[in-house]
Amino acid sequence: MIRVTDLRKRFGDNEVLRGITFEVAPQTVLGIIGGSGCGKTTLLRCLNGLERISSGRIECGEVKLESSLSQKEYRRRVKQLRRQVGTVFQHFYLFPHLSTLANITEAPVHVLRTPKRKAESEAQELLQSVGLQYAAQRYPESLSGGEQQRVAIARALAMRPDLLLFDEPTSALDPKRTSELRTLLREFVDHGHTLVIVSHSLGFLAGAADYMMYLEGGEVVEQGPTKEVLNSPKDPRTKEFIRHAG
Amino acid sequence: MVHAQQTLRWGADPSGGAPYVFTNPSAPDRYIGYEKEMVDALAAAMGRKPEFVPSDWETLVSALQRGSFDIIVNGLEPTADRERQILFSKPYYIFQLQLTVRRDDDRIKSLADCKNRVVGTLVNTAASRILDQQGVPMRGYPDPVSAYRDLELKRVDAVLMDVPAEVFYVRSNPRLKQAGPPFTRGLYVIGLRKGDDALKREVDAAIDKIITDGSLERILKSWNLWNDAQVEFQAPIRAGNQNAEVAFDMTTATFNWRDALLRLGRAALVTVLLAFGSMVIAVFLGMPLALGQWKGPAPLRALCTAYVEFFRGTPVLVQLLFLYFGLPVFGVTMPGWLTALVGLGLNYAAYESQVYRAALEAIPKGQWEAAYMLGMSPVLAFRRIILPQSFRIALPTMTNDFVSLFKDTSVAFAISVWELATAYRELANASGQFLLLGVIVSLFYLAMSLPMAHLARLLERRLRDRSERRVESAKLSEAKA
Repeated sequence: MIRVTDLRKRFGDNEVLRGITFEVAPQTVLGIIGGSGCGKTTLLRCLNGLERISSGRIECGEVKLESSLSQKEYRRRVKQLRRQVGTVFQHFYLFPHLSTLANITEAPVHVLRTPKRKAESEAQELLQSVGLQYAAQRYPESLSGGEQQRVAIARALAMRPDLLLFDEPTSALDPKRTSELRTLLREFVDHGHTLVIVSHSLGFLAGAADYMMYLEGGEVVEQGPTKEVLNSPKDPRTKEFIRHAG
Repeated sequence: MVHAQQTLRWGADPSGGAPYVFTNPSAPDRYIGYEKEMVDALAAAMGRKPEFVPSDWETLVSALQRGSFDIIVNGLEPTADRERQILFSKPYYIFQLQLTVRRDDDRIKSLADCKNRVVGTLVNTAASRILDQQGVPMRGYPDPVSAYRDLELKRVDAVLMDVPAEVFYVRSNPRLKQAGPPFTRGLYVIGLRKGDDALKREVDAAIDKIITDGSLERILKSWNLWNDAQVEFQAPIRAGNQNAEVAFDMTTATFNWRDALLRLGRAALVTVLLAFGSMVIAVFLGMPLALGQWKGPAPLRALCTAYVEFFRGTPVLVQLLFLYFGLPVFGVTMPGWLTALVGLGLNYAAYESQVYRAALEAIPKGQWEAAYMLGMSPVLAFRRIILPQSFRIALPTMTNDFVSLFKDTSVAFAISVWELATAYRELANASGQFLLLGVIVSLFYLAMSLPMAHLARLLERRLRDRSERRVESAKLSEAKA
């Protein structure tokens, strides 16, 4: 679904990502773990085009992003990329001036030019799938953290992305909500979506991710099937991280 | 007060005051003028030392009453309303009125041709009262210079002025000409405080003296103001008949409360239109300024910043005067109301742009990114996501600015726009009712700004309440669920 090859990202002299290579197969879930400042959020922002990569390559479906592209061409391809990639931010960034329903229909109506009626009925279905059908007319400020997150997910799904990126999805959730989210995400995978989840919650990823990737200092220390990485990490740095996180 | 007996403190308005009293162009620290010379002669006859107190024409009477000086010598016409407030000396000059038009204008031959045109004149003079009585649309000016300049600039169609001013300003101007002969006869007298009867006797005697000994005639001749009217007026006095009646047409101020309120109402309407019009300009011009300063390329950013700093850093009064008197030099001549509208609009655009910029910058970056993630272009994200949110933030400040713009429209009096402040000054000066009219005008302002402030609060509350209602309904539906 998405293939990243020797991706590097520099901010001035500071190289935040130092040659990252991985691949995510369709309908699988990749969990990215690592301590603060390991570069996992920057990696996510490269994957959705919010940051321009300094070198390397990102391939997603037909779209190929390379650092050598002109500014204009890069921007054009990022636009194509975003048709396939949706993002759910750590702080959700719902649009506070729009109702839940309007948050979800805004992009389909104004970007995809879906007729409003149709967009609304699709949004209702999405709300149902995340268990929020009762909140359609409410405004973001009156929603709990967990509800806001599910609206953000529904909003991203309304654009029918193949790949969904999550940044720290469990930071606003209590244990019960966390386990509900895990179930919800697994349903998305069954429906054909591919997920990349950045988190520092090993417990959550253990149940949600098929594959794990451990980042430290902007490098991939270890990656593999979730069970292998968690139960028998090869690299001492991974062991250390898991011991502390556990 | 023996010492005070020695001086004769006289007040007049020297700005644009030629040929009465004005700054000597070749020696700017000296005053000259035929009335200046006349007061010198009077003071000499009274054995006093003249002391000139420069003042403002429209507040001469109140300044006299406050004691800023002891006599008014400024081509003052005795009117019924002034008679209630001050004492008059004997007349010293017979004035007539002269209508002036542009040299190429053949439509206007007399005042009768001016019914549907605008005639400029000085505020609160015989000329303004005659225009008023005859129902000729009038624009009041603080001095003859600006009135004649606006005539040349076609902002008015004719100017009606006392002959002395007309002689001084028009006879040498090739672009202007007289329309018809001078008409009506009025008196110039000296104004004194009520109760100063001893001083009045002194002044009257001195006037007789300078008429009898021919010194006034010499002064008037040297200023080209000697004419048949003066000959007729002075003849009996010189013949020894000091109490001869002088034939003249006295104009009376048409001040009455019904009329005054009507005119205040009209002025209030102008104020409202000015405020709304310039706010529309400010609101629409403020946005590109804010965007240019916020996201524009460096040169544009610098340009917008320069604009904002210029309009915020200089007084709006100076900007209006520049637009009104300065721009015609470059061939751009706008009528007063338009100048005020544009000037205030440009000025407030600078302020609005800062309100917008602050409101735009207050929206978290994440809102932009969330919009981009959904495939929106920057323009779409701005229009649908950022703008509606910043509008809510900017709204309270915008309404606040609007209320203060309302009050700032009063600077338009500087360019003779008949709005509330101008109306107050002119009506109060004509009637002496500073206090009562002041209260009424303040009520007018409040009647306009309070609903605005109320509307602002209402809008804010609606935005806030809406979210509160959402929370309420949310709790309800949760309880149901």
